[in-house]
Amino acid sequence: MNDKIKKNKEVDNGKDFRLELEQCQKEKEEYLNSWKRAKADLINYQKDEAKRLEEMAKFSNWSLMEDLISVIDNFELAIEVLEKSGQAEKGIYMIKTKLEDSLKKRGLEKMAVSVGQPFDPSLHEVMGQMEAEVESGAIAEEIEGGYILNGRVIRPARVRVAK
Amino acid sequence: MSKIIGIDLGTTNSAAAAIESGSPKILENNEGNRTTPSIVAINKSGERIVGLLAKRQSVANPKNTIFSVKRFIGRKFSDSEVQNDKKWLPYEIKESDNGGIEIKMGEKWHKPEEISAMVLAKIKADAEAKLGEKITEAVITVPAYFDDSQRQATKNAGEVAGLKVRRIINEPTAAALAYGLNKKNDEQIVVYDFGGGTFDVSVLEVTDNTIEVKATGGDTHLGGDDFDKKINDYLVVEYKKQEGIDISKDPLALQRLKEAAEKAKHELSTSLETEINLPYISSDSSGPKHFLIKLTRAKFESLVSDEIERSIKLTEQVVKEAGFKVGDIDEIILVGGQTRIPAIQAAVKKAFGKEPHQGVNPDEVVAIGAAIQAEILSAKDEGRKPEGEVKDVLLLDVTPLSLGIETLGGVFTKLIDKNTTIPTEKTQVFSTAADNQPSVEIHVLQGEREMAVGNKTLARFMLDGIPPAPRGTPQVEVKFDMDANGILNVSAKDKASGKTQSVRVEATTSISKEEVERLKQEAAKYADEDRKNKEGVEVRNQAENLVYVAEKSLKDAGDKVSADVKEGITKKIDALKAVKDGQDTEAIKTATSELSSEVQKVGQHLYNKDKDQGQSQSGQSDQPEGSEQKEEKTDEGEKSEEKPANGDKPEEK
Repeated sequence: MNDKIKKNKEVDNGKDFRLELEQCQKEKEEYLNSWKRAKADLINYQKDEAKRLEEMAKFSNWSLMEDLISVIDNFELAIEVLEKSGQAEKGIYMIKTKLEDSLKKRGLEKMAVSVGQPFDPSLHEVMGQMEAEVESGAIAEEIEGGYILNGRVIRPARVRVAK
Repeated sequence: MSKIIGIDLGTTNSAAAAIESGSPKILENNEGNRTTPSIVAINKSGERIVGLLAKRQSVANPKNTIFSVKRFIGRKFSDSEVQNDKKWLPYEIKESDNGGIEIKMGEKWHKPEEISAMVLAKIKADAEAKLGEKITEAVITVPAYFDDSQRQATKNAGEVAGLKVRRIINEPTAAALAYGLNKKNDEQIVVYDFGGGTFDVSVLEVTDNTIEVKATGGDTHLGGDDFDKKINDYLVVEYKKQEGIDISKDPLALQRLKEAAEKAKHELSTSLETEINLPYISSDSSGPKHFLIKLTRAKFESLVSDEIERSIKLTEQVVKEAGFKVGDIDEIILVGGQTRIPAIQAAVKKAFGKEPHQGVNPDEVVAIGAAIQAEILSAKDEGRKPEGEVKDVLLLDVTPLSLGIETLGGVFTKLIDKNTTIPTEKTQVFSTAADNQPSVEIHVLQGEREMAVGNKTLARFMLDGIPPAPRGTPQVEVKFDMDANGILNVSAKDKASGKTQSVRVEATTSISKEEVERLKQEAAKYADEDRKNKEGVEVRNQAENLVYVAEKSLKDAGDKVSADVKEGITKKIDALKAVKDGQDTEAIKTATSELSSEVQKVGQHLYNKDKDQGQSQSGQSDQPEGSEQKEEKTDEGEKSEEKPANGDKPEEK
């Protein structure tokens, strides 16, 4: 009789342990998974951060470039006026080239825009329309140059299109 | 499961945000911008263009470039607002069969929600490109005053764009979510939203996690564009005065002026004065003409004061309509780019006598709030807690207060800063303050005060059995290890003997919120006093050290230095000793630096006399050793070779 009770108890204990073990294994799985997830999150975050830093380094001088582009615009206006009155000196062109070259070295490219070229809003911005001997809607005049910084349009070319 | 994104579908600009790595982030569009103009166009070849690109071609294609469509969505053609807007918009609208509105773009007539759907479709596509996954669901915001039909139409726009609209929420509610104000209880919130084209005010009431809109108001035709126009008009008049030329007839010059005006407005938010510098803006018979004018913040404010005043009046009116007094308002949130203007911030602050919430970018705050709502919904779907609120499935707590030990002179040296996410472990090496000091006491403290006495003692223990050595030489490594349950294990190990002692402190994070607040406030209150105290201790420690070094070098040098050098040093030592225990920090500093330069003579003397000897003793003048005072307090010494003769704590900036 006593033996039987004892045996039953052992069976029960065995069952308890099994249950407990199962529980533990389940928990272990869960914890291991969340730990892996946390680790992966961190690694991914670090990767993203590195990418963001790289982007930042590439475009950190964006606003400076924007400011300098407006200086080039002014140069161009000045040269245009000076050319008309025949006063454009070589020196002026040299200064402008110097400025453009140093920006070019830092990834700034000027867009090539030609009259008659079709208008493309991803590169150009319409400032007005005019009568011209090109197809209607095509570029009739470039007013201000467009610029691309490291593959991204920093300023669209300002143009007038044909009516 | 794919992400739900939050979208702020605005009148002039829209933005999208999503939760990334636990916090809401604005999703940049394909052009690399954080906002997308809410503009759609059909070009001559019948292509549809959306956003910035549509804006760029609008001048040449005004009839087929649709903007401000939000003014029409879900409205009846007969609404007086619609009739008013119809007058100034360059594109055509007509009444639809059911009394609604249709807009002509290209050859076709579209419902306003179809146009909005085109904007949403671009936002969806750009978000997918940015996040690298398919987006099928969204939370979209609308103005609080939108009625059921406007909300339904916005929802339909989302569905047409291929987005399941999980929820339409109010813009002011989204702004409140972005600032976490949904967790407040029984609070009245005013959201002051000054955008590019519209001005909205809402009064919200938060109770038990629900945000209720009590009243709304504003002006759908008051915005930052009005400010730009004011500056523009002023500049045109000024130019006429300067040069006698009416620039308003020249579209190109006007465009340059407009850009300069907008830039000036932005600059005047941070500086008091800006310069409009437009060379070659026009010309007359005498040649090219330039425009150079200074614009001060005061001038700008006087130009727009009417608009600002009007917005404040409207705000007060809405508060009244909500049944509150201005004094009942607990929080104010600023939304919209124009709220960067200092005069607006000042006017709002003056009206409510309170500092408004800032910090989240006012152009992005609504989209951020929508993303937070989206995350709450995703979390619910997935049966987890929202990210950001509780990090992931793991409950990661933070230490509410800083933890550290007391160091020489009663200074509190922090090892774990407050708000550090746990579990965490920090180790720092300290040293002894006296020669042959046999033991150090580790006094574990918690708090924000600079001096140990102001903080709460968690534990104290001794580490003894440190082999005899000059002060600053033994290396005692103190380790603070806090587990995820906030249980802190502090151990101290003498690196030479390997002897270790440790203590376990439970429940370091279970301090009540009120207690944490009280301690923080106390720390802020005594910050100045504590800083002075600490500086005093540091100066005294330094003096103490130098006296020790000086006396030791004199002793070690023996007869090798001349009597007059010795006498000079002794004099300076006595002078420093006389002041070092007093309260006059400046006097101690002066005496310390005088002794310091005097002591250097010993080195020079020895070096000149005997190079070998000098070399073997050169270490002496920069070894922080010996003291007759205060035993058992630890003193930072890990970097004692580089940081000679003082009790500087490396962690302090």
